[in-house]
Amino acid sequence: MGADSDAGETPAVPWRKVLYERQPFPDNYVDRRFLEELRRNIRVRQYSYWSVVREAGLVSQQLSCVALFLTLWSYMEQGNVAPSTLLCTGLGCSVLGYALYEALGGEGCRERTRCADLQSAAVFMAFTFGFSPVLKTLTESVSTDTVYAMSAGMLTAHLVFFPYTQPSLPGSLSLNAALFASVCLASRLPGTLHTFAMLSCGLLIFALWPCLLQRLRRAAQWTFPWAAGTVCVCGVGGVWTLWPVGAVLLFLALIVLTLVCPLLLVRLQRHKDNIHGPWDEAEIREDLSRFLS
Amino acid sequence: MVLKIFFPRCCNMADSGLLVGRWIPGQDSAVVLAVIHYPFIPGQVKKYLSELHSQTQVDLTILGSWSFSKDSQKDMDEFLKDLSTIFSHSRWLQLSREPGKKGFACEVVHKNGHAAGDEEHEIIFVHYDQRKVMLSQLHPVQENGADVKSSELRAVFHTVSQSEPLFLFDKYDDGPLKLTHWQSDGREASILVELIKQASVPVCMLLTLLVGYRTEQFQTVFSTSKATTHMEFMRKANIFVSFFVDTALGLLLISWLYRENRISYLANTLVPAADHVAKELQNLLEWLMGAPAGLKMNRALDEVLGKFFLYHIHLWISYIRLMSPFIEMILWYVGLSACLGLTFALSVLSDIVALLTFHIYCFYVYGARLYCLKIYGLSSLWRLFRGKKWNVLRQRVDSCSYDLDQLFLGTLLFTILLFLLPTTALYYLVFTLLRLVVVTFQGLIHLSVDFINSFPLFALGLRICRPYRLAEGVKFCVLHEEPGAPLHLLMECYRTETSSCSSRDSWLTLVKKLFVGELIYPWRQKSTKTD
Repeated sequence: MGADSDAGETPAVPWRKVLYERQPFPDNYVDRRFLEELRRNIRVRQYSYWSVVREAGLVSQQLSCVALFLTLWSYMEQGNVAPSTLLCTGLGCSVLGYALYEALGGEGCRERTRCADLQSAAVFMAFTFGFSPVLKTLTESVSTDTVYAMSAGMLTAHLVFFPYTQPSLPGSLSLNAALFASVCLASRLPGTLHTFAMLSCGLLIFALWPCLLQRLRRAAQWTFPWAAGTVCVCGVGGVWTLWPVGAVLLFLALIVLTLVCPLLLVRLQRHKDNIHGPWDEAEIREDLSRFLS
Repeated sequence: MVLKIFFPRCCNMADSGLLVGRWIPGQDSAVVLAVIHYPFIPGQVKKYLSELHSQTQVDLTILGSWSFSKDSQKDMDEFLKDLSTIFSHSRWLQLSREPGKKGFACEVVHKNGHAAGDEEHEIIFVHYDQRKVMLSQLHPVQENGADVKSSELRAVFHTVSQSEPLFLFDKYDDGPLKLTHWQSDGREASILVELIKQASVPVCMLLTLLVGYRTEQFQTVFSTSKATTHMEFMRKANIFVSFFVDTALGLLLISWLYRENRISYLANTLVPAADHVAKELQNLLEWLMGAPAGLKMNRALDEVLGKFFLYHIHLWISYIRLMSPFIEMILWYVGLSACLGLTFALSVLSDIVALLTFHIYCFYVYGARLYCLKIYGLSSLWRLFRGKKWNVLRQRVDSCSYDLDQLFLGTLLFTILLFLLPTTALYYLVFTLLRLVVVTFQGLIHLSVDFINSFPLFALGLRICRPYRLAEGVKFCVLHEEPGAPLHLLMECYRTETSSCSSRDSWLTLVKKLFVGELIYPWRQKSTKTD
């Protein structure tokens, strides 16, 4: 404190930290109490390991969702699953899920009426069914590699931009990226009905399942780990039937995401050292205009 | 004291007489305007001068006498003395020139009668060309007298230009006085100018009724008000000359076109040409409907668009077949319009081209509309894709939470538009290029029309034939210098500072240099030139 030593003669009046009075001190003067106000780690939270694991489960189950979708798609492409089967399964799942959703919803606080839900469903069906011939020929002339690359990019974007902290409704960008990827992939399928089935399936997995999961988390906390675990097992199992090595890799990834990463976070939290005090934090502002001119 | 006398070159060889001119107020210099020849009655001269003064507001006086004769000076001396007493003034100039000699002799007589020789006054003669000074428009027109006093040269120009009525007399006029000045051998093309002035107004009123598109120009040319400034005059003359040339060229075109059955020949080549263009377009469309240049187009959309455009071409060909019997007649009548000017004919040609390439225009419009729609839709759907929307009220992009079905539909449409974009863009590109070719051709025609209309032919003609009318300033060069005799300077107009002043002298030297074999250079040698 240079200013401190400079003005340390014998000031008659004690220094006060006010600007409205004229004092016999330089403007940048501070006294000995300055460092007394230093605080450390005031906003650092101490996580418990299992709660972090529970939160990380959301990431894992989303990854598994993607894996599940890809599995379904490759089954469709190879013709191992008839589109009608997938459609029927999807219909059953959605009816079940809707019932569950309604049952878990609180009384009175409904944002949407059943009629609006039905209307939305009708819109999905009509447009998907109407556009599926167009979608079928959409990427005909585009090479398969391009389509795969685009889908991979879009699914990665979906995973990156998914709003994990407040998964009320999937965020626009992540949902749109997932839908784009499903349209791209669906357009490579052999038939019109395949395209339609794949798109409905994508809608179920990427749009409706997160809504249901969110409601599950809010209404019945204990069900969430089970649901997430089920999805993870389904994803790994699905990939195993097609490509065992991939399944192993996915399993390892899930383990790392769910168990190792939270452990790292909790471990590293101890080394956190933040200081707070009565000072303005220095901001480094590069004067870019110097370089631009 | 240096006495400067501005002397007109046209009076160099004038018969003896009186010098009419003006003492520049505040300056020790005199401007000689004209010479009044000898048999005259002093009263009439005075009356004439006072009349001129009331007309021009310029203070014209008799400056002195001018003698140019083989007779000996001594006989005249007494007579000249008498004259100086009749036209009383503070100073009286006695200029005399002997034939065969270059310089003048000058004597300044003060009012008290004693002749002041060259010991007291150094006299410089500045020879100026009255015609050039009058026509070069160097004198400020709208300036009042106070400003004129500011500069000597300005005063000179002002005096010369203001005393225009003095120059209206020529030697064919029957008057009591005989004068020598720049127009004394007859005014320049005066009869022609008057005739044209008289005839032009009704003729052009008629033409204005006939041709609407030049109305504005005609209003400029034939406005009843006189062109006050030099620039306005130049503009009028330019427009008039360009119109004249335009009509002449148009008549030339007609005379070429209606000879040797050229119209029918033209009509016979026009229809197959249009047919050929349609065929070429058909080929182009078929190429586009395949896989053009290995591009990955959407097959379905490609086929739809191609068939649509092919149908249009089919329509167009049948339209041309329908038109072909009448084309010769149409061309015959349209060709007549060339008598209204070449620009008119060119404009009609531009319209004909526009009509004949109407299919290309149609294709271009369809392509552009489709493409624009796609780009617009893609940009707004891209905002939806990112979960944003355009806020109209605040003119910015805001984030927005969409419903699930909105998102789904938007993404579906976005994907479809994105994958169909290259096909549309290719069609748009091809037809825009075709359209650009047509537009360039029409642009060239319009450019040439504009060129003909606005080409400063009159100014160019002036530049070639009467360069001094476009003068920018004056310069002086030494005409005759002899120790003991007054210095003679020649005042010349020059056009611009940068361009070399091509006087006859330099032409002569150039020819001489060429003849002798000296080296010549395009740039000018530094000459002794002072402004």
